[in-house]
Amino acid sequence: MSDKEVTRIRRKWQGLSNDYAVILIFIAIGLLLMLSFLPMLWMFMTGFKNKGEYFTYPPIFIPRNPDLSHFIRGLEIGGRKGIIDSFIVAACSTLVSLAVGSIAAYSIARFKIGGKHLAFWILSIRMMPPIASVLPLFLFYRFLRILDTYGALIMTNTIFNIPYAVWMLKGFFEELSGELEEAAMVDGCGRFGAFYRIALPLVAPGLVATALFCFMFSWNEFLFALILTRARVTPVTVVITGMIGGHEILWAEISAVASMASIPVIVLSIFLQRYLVRGLTLGAVKG
Amino acid sequence: MKKTITVKITKGFKIEKHMPLLFILPCVIILLSVSVFPFIYSLLLSFNSWEMGSGLPRRFVAFANYGRLFTDLRFWNSMLNMGKVLLFGVSSQFLIGFTLAMLLNRAFKARNLITTFFLLPLMIAPVVVGCNWKMIYHYSYGPLNYILRVLRLSEGVNWLGSMKVAMPAIIISDIWEWTPFMMIVLLAGLQTISVELYDAARVDGASRWQVFWYITLPVLKPIIIIVLLIRGMDVFKLFDIVVLLTQGGPAGASETVSYFNYLTGFKYFNMGYAAAIAYIQLIVIIIVANIFLRFLQERKPEYER
Repeated sequence: MSDKEVTRIRRKWQGLSNDYAVILIFIAIGLLLMLSFLPMLWMFMTGFKNKGEYFTYPPIFIPRNPDLSHFIRGLEIGGRKGIIDSFIVAACSTLVSLAVGSIAAYSIARFKIGGKHLAFWILSIRMMPPIASVLPLFLFYRFLRILDTYGALIMTNTIFNIPYAVWMLKGFFEELSGELEEAAMVDGCGRFGAFYRIALPLVAPGLVATALFCFMFSWNEFLFALILTRARVTPVTVVITGMIGGHEILWAEISAVASMASIPVIVLSIFLQRYLVRGLTLGAVKG
Repeated sequence: MKKTITVKITKGFKIEKHMPLLFILPCVIILLSVSVFPFIYSLLLSFNSWEMGSGLPRRFVAFANYGRLFTDLRFWNSMLNMGKVLLFGVSSQFLIGFTLAMLLNRAFKARNLITTFFLLPLMIAPVVVGCNWKMIYHYSYGPLNYILRVLRLSEGVNWLGSMKVAMPAIIISDIWEWTPFMMIVLLAGLQTISVELYDAARVDGASRWQVFWYITLPVLKPIIIIVLLIRGMDVFKLFDIVVLLTQGGPAGASETVSYFNYLTGFKYFNMGYAAAIAYIQLIVIIIVANIFLRFLQERKPEYER
């Protein structure tokens, strides 16, 4: 079969044999993209609207006098503390999860410690419905009088991030051949040295991807934050919800805070794209 | 002097030998103390009646909480709502996501950029999703009702305030949020199918439909099962957008199991009963998770089969 014929068959299969099909496909993609993107664009736009503009009929899509005043006001009425608190909780939880998770993952991947059962037990904790685990934790923290502290929220996020980190990193470590580590150990590196100096740098991309995912999960987390905090610690998700529950709903300020809370994860998603499939399916599908 | 050196060496050797165990210890200790202990505690709690707000002491009631649960219409209503999300939400996400994956599974410029745009709803916080849709669903000023009025399809639907459409409204925003997940995973699956396989089928004279039915679907089957199981488990965690959009209302029409559990525990402070709900929820999840894990264990990469 000639190359030309193969190309023809491929093009025909891909529906590129006639121009109408191509146009139809792109129209379909465009329509779905609009459905997917417009609701978000609406929120970004609302952040720039004045009070009269988001409560009018017919609704105004593009704000007439866009300025940053609602963003500043949004930060003032809780947004700033929300974003800082979310960052503290997410960053601390990510660091702890990676430190604990990476050595555990290494141990499981290299030495098959605990066999399959241990690995699956760890993963099963990740799958618990958060509402089911938060009730005992709430009572536990109440008993210890650490409700509404960073520690309690970081700890709770970490419980869910550790199994995730272990499972993801296990996959990355298993992809290493292990020969380099053996060589390092022959040269006098201990097991920890082999892990810390050889294996860890080799899985650096996986480590970064796992860290970013953990950060994203904790940043977006709402249920724990709602139940375990009151006034001292206020992650941004709780701040947004609180603003909506208020007497007068300040849509522009809410949208501004929500937009600002979304920017970090949108940036992360661009960096994560290569690992997205793997990260979202707990390594079950390797994209 | 000599003796101490030997001791040191043997001691060092021992630590080295048990290194793998030491590596995993922090993880196991943390998970045991902060997950297993509370779970045992809440199991015990579920056999007690403890109304924290009333000041009544805790008392042992054996299986009364579970018995009450099985006759609680509100609980069954929330389970029914979960079923609706599973039936209409997850299946729509799958169908739209699959279509989108098929559409995007071709080489063209800007494909990565377009994929990134599609993924945005998935990346932003569910709270932000809820906040977003709360504005869109607004009865008088929301853009959705405006479009319906302009197209003369309706005089305006009370999306979040009516018994009939509150749950569909939540399902629509759930579809919006999670379709990208289906899309990206199925797209990854589609890309593992080699072009040669399609070529061979085409040369043999297979129709497009036959190619889809006999090549694409069988190869994707494991991935399809995985995404459906993952989403199936997620349904029971549906909470954030319910809080933002309807708070379970009107009159419990859009109450999910997680939200019902939250109300029982943290609004009515009926701790024993909430623990019982949590346990039932846990059992359902464990069943689904077990299927998922078994699947994970047995699965081989697609191209090896």
